[in-house]
Parts: sequence; C-alpha cells; structure tokens
Amino acid sequence: MAAESVLIVGGGPAGLEAARLLADIGTPVTLVEKRAELGGMPIAERYAALTHGFRDAESMINNMVGAVSASPLVDVRLGASVVEAEGEAGAFRVTVAKEGNGAGEVVEAGAVILATGFQHFDPGRETQTYGYYEYPDVITLSDAEGMLKDDVFLKANGDKPERVAFIQCVGSRDRQIGNEYCSKVCCGISSKLAIEVRERLPDTKCFIFYIDMRMYGFWENEIYWPAQEKHHVQYVKGIVTEVIKKGERLLIRGEDTTMGRPVEVPMDIVVLAVGMEPSRGTRDLAKVFGVKQNQYRFIEVPHDALDPVATSVPGVFVAGAAAGPKDLDDTMGMAGAAAIKAAAWIRKVVTAA
Amino acid sequence: MPRPLEEQKVIQSAVKEKDELIVDGMDISGHWNRMFGQRVIFDYSVEYLEKVAALDGGESLGWCYGCAKCTGVCPIDIVGDYSPRKIHRRTQTGVDLFTSEDLWLCTTCMNCLRVCPKEVDMIQIMPAVRERAVLDGSVPDELQKAFEDTAKFGNPLGQPQRKRAAWAKNAEVPVPIMACLNGDGPADVLWYVGSYPSYHPRGIDASLAAARIFNALGVNFAILGKEEKDDGDTQRLAGETGLFEMLAEHNIEVFNKYEWGTLVVTGPHEYNAFNNEYSKLGFERPVLHYTQFLAERLHDLKPLLKESVEARVTFHDPCYLGRHNGEYDAPRELLRAIPGLELVEMGRCRENGYCCGGGGGGMWLDSFTQDHTRMRLSERRVREAVEYEADILAVCCPFEVSRFEDAAKSTGNDQLKVLDILELLDHSMQGGKR
Repeated sequence: MAAESVLIVGGGPAGLEAARLLADIGTPVTLVEKRAELGGMPIAERYAALTHGFRDAESMINNMVGAVSASPLVDVRLGASVVEAEGEAGAFRVTVAKEGNGAGEVVEAGAVILATGFQHFDPGRETQTYGYYEYPDVITLSDAEGMLKDDVFLKANGDKPERVAFIQCVGSRDRQIGNEYCSKVCCGISSKLAIEVRERLPDTKCFIFYIDMRMYGFWENEIYWPAQEKHHVQYVKGIVTEVIKKGERLLIRGEDTTMGRPVEVPMDIVVLAVGMEPSRGTRDLAKVFGVKQNQYRFIEVPHDALDPVATSVPGVFVAGAAAGPKDLDDTMGMAGAAAIKAAAWIRKVVTAA
Repeated sequence: MPRPLEEQKVIQSAVKEKDELIVDGMDISGHWNRMFGQRVIFDYSVEYLEKVAALDGGESLGWCYGCAKCTGVCPIDIVGDYSPRKIHRRTQTGVDLFTSEDLWLCTTCMNCLRVCPKEVDMIQIMPAVRERAVLDGSVPDELQKAFEDTAKFGNPLGQPQRKRAAWAKNAEVPVPIMACLNGDGPADVLWYVGSYPSYHPRGIDASLAAARIFNALGVNFAILGKEEKDDGDTQRLAGETGLFEMLAEHNIEVFNKYEWGTLVVTGPHEYNAFNNEYSKLGFERPVLHYTQFLAERLHDLKPLLKESVEARVTFHDPCYLGRHNGEYDAPRELLRAIPGLELVEMGRCRENGYCCGGGGGGMWLDSFTQDHTRMRLSERRVREAVEYEADILAVCCPFEVSRFEDAAKSTGNDQLKVLDILELLDHSMQGGKR
C-alpha cells in the first residue's frame, strides 16, 4: 500500500524549504528534527547575517519556520530521531523516536528527503597549531557569527581588538586531516564577517590569510570586492602556520608568499575559517536508510552533475549540506528539486496502485 | 620584552667596509648589509595604504587582488623590481610609498591599467601620491630642477622663453607667428610646437621638417612663438599639479586670444594634455596630433613623397598617442605612404607597445632611474628594434628621439637610426637635397 506523504529528516534550511514546497503542492509531510527547535545551523549556531545577501539570519530563517509550522500539511516532530527504516520507495516504514523515549512510532512515507546537514570542523583536530582550545581569542567562524549577532566583538578580556586575522581553509583541503575537499563557503563567510567587523569597529584592521580566494559567481563582486575596496579588508596570500601567545596578544607565524618573506605579526583575535563535515545525523541516517556515503561520509550522489539530489536508494533523496559542502543558494535549489522528485515518486506509485 | 634578533640594530659606523672586496673571485663590494636585509615581516601597518587610498585618485591602489597581470606588461619590471601589484603589496606591508624610490619609477605608460581586471589606476594614483611628496619637498633633485626650470622659463629645458621660436629661422620656409599675422589671419591651423621641438637640437630637426611639410601642403598655419609655454601635463603626472594649472591657464588664455580652426600638436603628451586635461579646465577645441593631421591629407601628401627611402623601419608607439588615446593607425599610414620603406612591427607594438621611459616625469629622472634599474627603458627598446633587424626606429614623440639615440649609442647599436616620422616624410619629399 503506497503512502502519500514524504518524510523529511532535518529541519534546517533544506528541510524547511522542501517541506514548504511539498505542502504548497498538497503533499503531506512529516518533518523530523532532532533539536528542540526548527531552523538548523543558522539558528542553533546563532549566525549573524546570511551569506550571501547580508540579511539577518534569525528573521529570515524564522520566516521559513513560521510558514512550515503554520501549514496543516506538515507534521513537525521536534526532539525526535529516525532510528529505523524499512520498506522501499512508495512504502517506507520509518521508526521515529522522541528524545529519551526508546519505543518510537512508525511513520509511513512514500518518499524520503534527507536534509541532515553538516557540522563545523573541530579545530582541535587541525594539523597546524592554532590553539583554539588554549587561547580564548582564537575563535571559529561560528563563534564570530554569535559574537556579531550579540553585537559585541571584543577580546576575551573585554578589550577592543586592534587587529583581527582570519585563517582560511582550517580543516578543508587537507590530506592529512582527510578532508581533501573545499568547504566552498568559508572564503565568502570570512569576508562577510570581516565586513561586519569593519562596520562595527572601523578602527579594527582585518586581515584574511588565504591559499586561494574562492569567491565564485556573484560572491566575487557582492562580497570580495566590497570587502577589499569599500571596507579595506586586507587579503594576504599565504596561510598562517601557527599561533603563539605573546603577552596579551597572539603572534601569527607563516609566510607572506607574494613577498616571499616570513611573517610574525601580532593579532588580537584570530578567526579560524573552519570548514564543513557531515553532521552526526547525516552519518547516522545514511546507515539507517542504507544510502551510500562518499569517503568523507557525506551522502553520495551517484549522478551528481545532472541529478544532484538522488541517492543510491530509489525514493530517498538528499538536499543541502548532507551531500557535501553547500551554500544556501545550492541548498534551496536542492530542496526544491528533492521536493518535486519526492512528490513525483509518490504520484507515480499512487497512480500505479 | 627584548626586541627580536632581526630587529636589533647594528651601529653602522662601527662597520668597516672596503671599497672593493673580492672573495674567491666573487665581487661582493658594496654595503655590508645589502645581502642581509630584513627578512621577517613584523608588522602589517596599513597606515600608508590608507593614506594613499584617502587621496583623491589614490583609492584604487587598495583594490589590487594580486593577479599580477600588470607585472607581466610593466616596462619597469623587466629592468627592475617594480609593478603596481608589487607597489600594492609593499604598501600593504607597511612601506611608505610617499618616501619610497618606487614612487618615481612609474612612467604612467598605462600598460598596467590596460590589463588590470580591478582597474587599479596608476595614472591617477601616481600623480596623487607624488603631489603629496612634492608638497613635502621629497622629490629627486633632477626632477625638482625640471619643475623649477619649467616654472621659471616656461619649459623644462631651462631655455629662454623669448627664444622659443628661434628654431624657425633655419626653416627656409615661412613659419608665421600668430602675434605677427596682422591682417593675414585667421589661421586654419594653430601649430603648438612644444618645448622639445622648440629647443632640443633633435626636436628642432623634426620641427623644421614639419614646417617644410606644412608649407609644401599649402597649410595656412601659425605658431605661438614666445607666447607658447610647456603644456605641463608631464609635470602634473610627476606631481606638480600647481605648475600644471599655472601653465594650462596661460596656454588656454593664449589659445583663446587668436582665431584658428584646428590645433595641431607635435607631441603626444600635448595631445593628451589639451584633449583630456585642458578640457577639464574649460578648453574644448579640436586638437590633432600631427600624424592624424597629415594622415587626413595623405591624398595631397602622397604625390609629394617622391624619393624612395629604402630602409627597414620599425615604429615605436608613443604611450600617450597609443594606449592613452587610442591612435595607432595614423603614424603607420604615414610610414606606409613613403615609397621604398619597409615597415616591420616589433613584438611589443600598438596596445602592448613598450615605453621609452620618458613619460610621467621619467624624462627628468634619468640618473635616478639609472640607480634603480638594470638598464634604461629606452635601451631595452632599442635592443628590441635591433632584434627585429630595423635600420631605422621611427618615432612621433619629441621625448623619444634623444632618448633612443642615446640608447642606441650606449648599447653599441650606432647603426640604428632614430628618426621622427616628420623627418622621414621630409627625406622623402626633399630626396637628395637633404
């Protein structure tokens, strides 16, 4: 017996968008979210402005949450996880368990969309020595997002920073760490954060140390160029190798590659541009549904160029960063594609039955 | 905190230096510390970058994203260690451009801006920063002398103003002066001769040729004589904005005093000045470079070019006629009209033409440039002309004749002749007579 609803796992931007679109075309949705609230990383990690567009993350994401929560066709399960799945396309039987409640409830679904997202790279695993866990003024991109959201971008001792260094590619493009891929968004997010710092603290100098600036498409002229030209963010080619505590400040050491000279410059705050890794949910759910993962444990998309939302299991689709590093634009596009493909599966099966 | 080892100063006077020091056959004479310069960058002071960016015209220095396309076409980098990208990076690492020798090496040839994806505009940046350096009195002596001579005599050669038309005495053809036209005016053409064509012996050769050509064509022209002063644009690009304004004001006043149809100039720098800079001060009249003026009259000119000039000729595009103003064809049309002449193009020509080194103040910074580069740009260019087996290097900018002739000598290429296109046309017109 074919089920008419779609199960979406993950209530971040991808899951929210897919749920909203399915409801719009009259397809019932069960939306399972492990956290106690919807919104995903932008809400949980307290992002300041969205990349790109610079619009306030909380209000933008909450608009999406509101639309989904208000829809009678979307059954939202918060604080819940998918622990078991059986059946096949058209007739999945999925066990959804509430946090701390072992029993679980079986939900029927004709198709599944995995929107379980990513987690930030843990800078404690870096091969360089940036001292994230030693020095309070060494922070990550998401720490910086939270500080800017609170509108307080200060050193741990409360002083205003004179200089802020962003170090790109932390945990990305690294064979030793095992993340050989580019995380795709960090160049843009660092540049966006540097703009936000410069807007709030015009006397604070921002430096971005990079291997390659990867500002594809309009990010180039919407983020990178204004950061440099309007906000005077300084870009320096060559990655900082280590951070050393020196008095109240942080000494960054590396090579200024275009000058061909060593660098030892004091900074006040060092922001590590940590990349993306598959979230715990992505890794677990891939197993539950038996979908193939790539070597980095993101969900594998067998024909990614022309079908970026298919997985190795028919009827199970993927949207957003569960399939690899994605920006919000990619994520929204994938959510739309996954929604329509899931709906098409159900109609095909229902019509055939 | 103790200073880092690298920052610890050595008392210079305590170091004994030998004038000549040869170790194992290797000459290591020179300042003891030249090979052991500061390695570590201890600070990124963006103070100077901000200071440049704050200047009107200086903002684009900070736009550089380091692609280095400029370095590939910068004429200076081939003979030295210099390009807009390098200037940006040095400034970004705390080098004070306002007092750096880098400030005076740019000839404003504009090849960098032609290829720059970010439109980092050295043609605006250099004059802006130099203007400040000039105000601070931080100017190389020889350039300062050219400024002072221009202010005093109305020309950078330091020649008396009243003798500006003295060259015309040897023309053997009439060279009317506006102020003396009496009832014969108005003139169809006001010929602005320029400083080097008025005073420099090799510039005068071109002026004499021009006078003969204009006469042969029956052009109704006149010059300004002692009322003419240097256009001042190169001084402006070298940082003397005040001097430029003074000269522009004078020249515009003189231009407006007389009735004439077209302003024809000998030099590309004057062409640029009157077309692009004087127009900002309200002077908006038709201006032609002589190559354009004559190319328009090829129909009349061609029958006069009777004598064959059997030579392999290559042409050096002046930066201020070509890249700055987009005129590449008129000079070539004139050269092709000369019977017997074989025109060969050098690898660097037209849009990518090399620079003679004279623009942007380079004309008056020869010794300074010599100290900071491996060879003169003119020497580099002459070598290229020789590489293309040219007998004659043809030019149409008054800065170039003397520069290239000197360079031909200093590089041991005396066989290469340097001639203004005016001289070549005149040769063809006069034949054995000259």
